[in-house]
Amino acid sequence: MIPQNFEYSAPNNLKEALALLAGGNAKVLAGGMSLIPLMKLRLAAPEHLVDLSRVPDLKSIREDAGTIRIGAMTTHWEVEASPLLRSKCPLLAEAASNIGDVQVRNMGTIGGSIAHADPAADYPAALLALEAQVRISSAKRERTLGIAEFLVEALTTALEPGEIVREIIVPIEASGAGVSYQKMVQPASGFAIVGAAARLRKSGGKVSFVHVGITGLAGKAFRATRVEKLLAGTAGSTAEVQKAAAVAADGVDANTDLHASAAYRRQMAKVYTARALTQALARAS
Amino acid sequence: MKISGSYTLPFARERAYQMLQDPEVLAKCMPGTDHLAKIGPDEYEMKMKMVISAVQGLFAGKIRVTGQKPPEQFRLVVEGSGKVGFLKGEGVLRLMPADASTEVHYDGDVQVGGVIAGVGQRLLDTTAKMVIRKFFEKLTELAGQASQPAAG
Repeated sequence: MIPQNFEYSAPNNLKEALALLAGGNAKVLAGGMSLIPLMKLRLAAPEHLVDLSRVPDLKSIREDAGTIRIGAMTTHWEVEASPLLRSKCPLLAEAASNIGDVQVRNMGTIGGSIAHADPAADYPAALLALEAQVRISSAKRERTLGIAEFLVEALTTALEPGEIVREIIVPIEASGAGVSYQKMVQPASGFAIVGAAARLRKSGGKVSFVHVGITGLAGKAFRATRVEKLLAGTAGSTAEVQKAAAVAADGVDANTDLHASAAYRRQMAKVYTARALTQALARAS
Repeated sequence: MKISGSYTLPFARERAYQMLQDPEVLAKCMPGTDHLAKIGPDEYEMKMKMVISAVQGLFAGKIRVTGQKPPEQFRLVVEGSGKVGFLKGEGVLRLMPADASTEVHYDGDVQVGGVIAGVGQRLLDTTAKMVIRKFFEKLTELAGQASQPAAG
């Protein structure tokens, strides 16, 4: 189908882009992998699109003081293939490699994905485990939020009218850390039925640090702190991993759809959390 | 799609029941409602504008309240349609006293059809829960405002 008429702007610098968005009526076109299909179905009919693809400052991956800063318009493929991310923040690169299909990864962007805030998107699981920061800009001000505060609920973020995601800031992984993203994919949409991101370190034969993020299970992705508490301080044996993963869905109001009932999703959350922890432990040294 | 759950309102059951029967209160609490008018006994006509992410849908519909057993329970019959799809359903709301507060248990069955159901199937359950939660949050907020003593 053909979308309704809309005005299109493609500013070539950030200042101009923010000025165009300041009115609050324009919608950002960041990659269009969710927005364009909605417009073609006429479920969305923005009057004005501001395409950020020509804004040079939004497309970069660079190291800065113990962190890596990723421009919002960096595509999933660029995240997946970045030598810097693959060596220093491999969890994010691994999550990116699981998104959709190759066409989506070539067009879709990290900023667009988190601003859309699909409850089954892959990035949030990894970004929560990484305790990522989101740098936000508007014509008036700039602010930085933790990813957990940024993701308010399904399809809802803390972004206010006129604001855009400018950068995502992730930590450089400590040497010897083990990470893994394990996803049960719904093959038609490419979205996760559930996805689990694990990030951990060992010291003296014990798990000294563990962060787990889970997507697809609930209205929004979340940090599985109950799992973390159970695994921290143990030797990370198979039994200990199973015991910790068994609480992955505790206290969670799980989603139901045609592809997976709430009970099945809860069970799969445990299974995929155990797989992510097991692989992260095997990769840690 | 089955919808069930509960929400605890921090005030007494009589008050909760009364608020849930008041069309003005309902209009204020339903996200995106910009018109609600009485068209018959316990029957209302409404217009809603749902905005979720980039999706915007205008719905026109009717709400009917039946089977009232104040202050314990009532049945809600809802139907609505718009360009992006339609919605039809009914459910029972049961109000249980719990100390000074009220537990509202809801249990219903909703059919959603049209484009929105075709492409949004994956998100219907999540969205329904979100709308219900926002409704009760707003109701709690309204009740809080009304019980504030007048200034001066």
